Amino acid sequence: MAISRPITCVEDLQRWREEVDARLRADRITVTVCTGTGCSAKGARAVFKAMGEALAELPEGLSVELKPTGCHGFCEQGPIVVVSPSNVFYQNVREEDVPEIIQETVVKGLPVERLLYEDPVTGEVARSSSEIPFYQKQMRLVLRHSGNKDPGSIEDYIAGGGYASLAKALTEMSPEQIVAEVERSGLRGRGGGGFPTGRKWRSCREAHGEQKYVICNGDEGDPGAFMDRSIMEGDPHAVIEGMTIGAYAIGAHQGFVYVRNEYPLAVERLRKALADAREHGLLGENILGSGFSFDIQINRGGGAFVCGESTALMASLEGRVGEPRAKYIHTVEVGLHGKPTTLNNVETWANVPVIIDRGADWFASIGTEGSKGTKVFSLVGKVRNTGLVEVPMGMTLREIVFEIGGGIPGDKQFKAVQTGGPSGGCIPEEHLDTPVDFDQLWEVGSMMGSGGLIVMDEDTCMVNVARYFTGFLRDESCGKCVPCREGLAQMERILTRVCDGEGQEGDVELLLHLCDVLDAAALCALGSTASNPVRSTIRWFREEYDEHIRERHCPARECRGLFRYEILAETCTGCGACRRACPEGAISGERRQAHRIDQTKCVNCGACLEACRFDSVVKV
Amino acid sequence: MPIRLTIDGQEVEAQEGQTVLEAAREAGVWIPALCHHPAVSPYGACRLCLVEVEVRGRRRLVTSCCYPVAEGLAVFTQTEKVMGARRGVMELLLARAPDSPTLRELAEKLGVTGPRLPKVTRAERDCILCGLCVNVCREVMGAAAISFVERGVEREVGPPFDEASEACLGCGACAAVCPMGTVDLQWHETEVEIVPFKNRVPVVRCRECGKPITGLPYAEQIKARLGERLAPAVELCPTCKRSAAALAQKKAGTAGRAYVHHAKTPYPDQAPRSPERPGRASEPGAHSPDRCSQGVRAK
Amino acid sequence: MTIESAPPDYRAAAEEVVERYRRNPGFLIPMLQDLQQEFGYLPRPAVELVAQSLDIPLSQCYAVATFYSSLTLVPRGKHLLTLCLGTVCYLKGGKEIAQHIERELGVKPGETTEDRLFTYQPVNCLGACALAPVMMVDDTYYERVKTSQIRKILGAYGWGGENGKDGDQ
Repeated sequence: MAISRPITCVEDLQRWREEVDARLRADRITVTVCTGTGCSAKGARAVFKAMGEALAELPEGLSVELKPTGCHGFCEQGPIVVVSPSNVFYQNVREEDVPEIIQETVVKGLPVERLLYEDPVTGEVARSSSEIPFYQKQMRLVLRHSGNKDPGSIEDYIAGGGYASLAKALTEMSPEQIVAEVERSGLRGRGGGGFPTGRKWRSCREAHGEQKYVICNGDEGDPGAFMDRSIMEGDPHAVIEGMTIGAYAIGAHQGFVYVRNEYPLAVERLRKALADAREHGLLGENILGSGFSFDIQINRGGGAFVCGESTALMASLEGRVGEPRAKYIHTVEVGLHGKPTTLNNVETWANVPVIIDRGADWFASIGTEGSKGTKVFSLVGKVRNTGLVEVPMGMTLREIVFEIGGGIPGDKQFKAVQTGGPSGGCIPEEHLDTPVDFDQLWEVGSMMGSGGLIVMDEDTCMVNVARYFTGFLRDESCGKCVPCREGLAQMERILTRVCDGEGQEGDVELLLHLCDVLDAAALCALGSTASNPVRSTIRWFREEYDEHIRERHCPARECRGLFRYEILAETCTGCGACRRACPEGAISGERRQAHRIDQTKCVNCGACLEACRFDSVVKV
Repeated sequence: MPIRLTIDGQEVEAQEGQTVLEAAREAGVWIPALCHHPAVSPYGACRLCLVEVEVRGRRRLVTSCCYPVAEGLAVFTQTEKVMGARRGVMELLLARAPDSPTLRELAEKLGVTGPRLPKVTRAERDCILCGLCVNVCREVMGAAAISFVERGVEREVGPPFDEASEACLGCGACAAVCPMGTVDLQWHETEVEIVPFKNRVPVVRCRECGKPITGLPYAEQIKARLGERLAPAVELCPTCKRSAAALAQKKAGTAGRAYVHHAKTPYPDQAPRSPERPGRASEPGAHSPDRCSQGVRAK
Repeated sequence: MTIESAPPDYRAAAEEVVERYRRNPGFLIPMLQDLQQEFGYLPRPAVELVAQSLDIPLSQCYAVATFYSSLTLVPRGKHLLTLCLGTVCYLKGGKEIAQHIERELGVKPGETTEDRLFTYQPVNCLGACALAPVMMVDDTYYERVKTSQIRKILGAYGWGGENGKDGDQ
């Protein structure tokens, strides 16, 4: 019953929404299967297909809707299936489980106990997601549709109130009022910079020129971050709606979504969403009969982290290499093709419909003094519950890591949490009570960044972490300016030497000196924030650097050659598994006798540790 | 309308649209810069021209080559921060090209004593990737025969597919702007070669004395722009050109009235503007054939 | 090779791709990506034809083709082996896997094995961090990979002997 002609007035939009709502409110059963990238990699598509086939065989009279959805966020427990209206939450679902789910839950309304989530600490079984600690402390605003809406269905989006904010903006508000509303909300850029969004819009609105552009930065280059991907894949209409409202406020008629090359599914979902929006008169000429015209083009990145920087992104959109330029004249005045341009991150745009709908005051009531609203984080690494979480600003890192994340698996000790990706720093245990807030994270030597939260435990070598990020940035440096191009290569060389056991006294001081040069002289944020991982690890874990350099030993026992493998005679059963696994023949021992490693032959490969089933191989 | 700013406490008058570097140079204040050239749009790559500017009580480091002058701007070119940044950049440059006379001379002037950083690139050339050759070729000459290749520390400048480019004019602008003396013209019997880019084009020689003048594509381009009457500009070397002009005046009886002759036949000294190139007033002598025919680069 | 004598399929492909993006040079990267999808890499004539068609300098196309990681001017192997070296994968064993692959296949990042079976391309995040370490061969994901599994996984695609010698296939 989809309305196929373009909608030309707000009343029609309202009527369409009521039709869809009425249809969906009928007591029908809905089965949703998460088809985000994480769940798909674990076989969710097979589950979806099997579900579709099995449901088709059900007797008539039982109307069940099957929906693919975007990311629920609980990737550790995927594939995830939810059966409504009772919201039964199933995790780790495999193809073989489908018949049972259909028979027990869909037909009889009974839960399949073994597929329910069980808290690893308390043992409590959760029926629905609202009983799961991972979700209880979250506030899902930006992710409001992920997990319960079909990202490929514009109807599904409309049903929840989608595009109502756009209708309100076009018919009840003036562009000036919209800018003021976003300013009052306190929304700050979610891509990493944290620049006040309303102020950016105002500057662009006031800039000279008839032709203006809006851009959505979907380049999400931080390794370990997949928030933007989930939003683009799971709720593309939210991004489109936000951009349209912003374009109206600023006076732009052309927008671009720049999606990084590694996200083909996001491109696909956005394409469909754009086509559907155009078809229904929600994008393109004379939107909703308002007289405002605006359209969006998708452009793909070529594989360059630096293109997450706004001027490099714009260069890329002009068909050139992704080289940044000085921003003494801001891009809101001279941007894409020399025209005033507003560039915002995916998550920033997705916040806009929420603000217009609920109002700036409501939005500003969430969060802290300097950081309003919520933030989506990708919580990954050495943490029990890895996945995507959205929390109000101001929640502490400790709460996120331990209460939502479930703490460190394997009874290991927490060591640090890295925020802000390659531009951010590591935060140690003593600062875990730092609230998630732009300014306060800056004060402890890190930054919010785009939202990657990488948890590290006692087995992580912090010098190696610094080396990893520095190497990453060196690979991604565009090569234009001297400090970044040469400085990062110099820094990586030093860090590699240190991790290889060839560090020299004075290396730390030299690293800090190079950090100073980058901070002062680099052209863009890639170079000027590159010092953060190095500085923060030196600041909080200086003793690790010293031990590498002075004692040629890696305290975390991660850097090959800087620690030893030893066999514990007390617990070794003499099974010989390690001896057989050793590629160098460095292990000797009689059957059922404690084995020994010849350190002169050992190459530190770790095969023995992997092979031992008695926890008798240890790193020293 | 003139814009008043201060540089190191000294009051300076500048024009709207000028950069701090331009204003400083006109005022006689020295700011080092390797990737800057008046003929080419500012690029901001070498970072040596960093200065501190104070706006609304806040100070920050900016590249003066890109920073527009503003009324009341306070510029500081010799602070600790500035000197530290310049020296740090210089150390990194020396690591790339430790034997370059240009860099050594500048390093000494900046007070940097010897490179203490090792080379971290496979590149062998004395090239600091300033971009002047690339930018002048594309933006000013409209040829775009060379570009940056790859990215990061292994970046290089070269022609497409590392083979002689068909777009090369043989004008030698790249050699003229190279601050390191690395790009050079080599004159062969029938060709001029741009070293180290492998580009080669036929050479135009003086029809009187046979000295090489410039590359043939460039000569053709100039002839097309100047028209038939001024074609001799690219057929004779400077010496022979002067002889020919003197002879012509003797014949015409206008010897000694050079001023009148020139006033009647204006000699274009501006290059045609390519679409991307920002509008600029005529740059002194940048495009006259004489400069290119000398095959000499600025040292 | 002059443009005129280029094999017809390059010309048609280049024209089609340029038209697809309405001759807009701002879409140079997607154009080159589409061409690469078709030929497995960017053949030189195709790049030259795109430059000609869009009326932009060849040097700009070449600069773009060498700047961006997703573009390659060198033919790739039969299978693309993508190893995620995002932070999480790296810390959870990705580094060891990288070293193992380089040793096993005898290639460095970006290189193709001598028998052209695999091109090895480490990338900086596939966004499947919960399954770290993650590896892909073409479109197939391999999750929680151990170094001991590498040879077997590669073997399924025809990787046979030591150091680049194809044994079984």
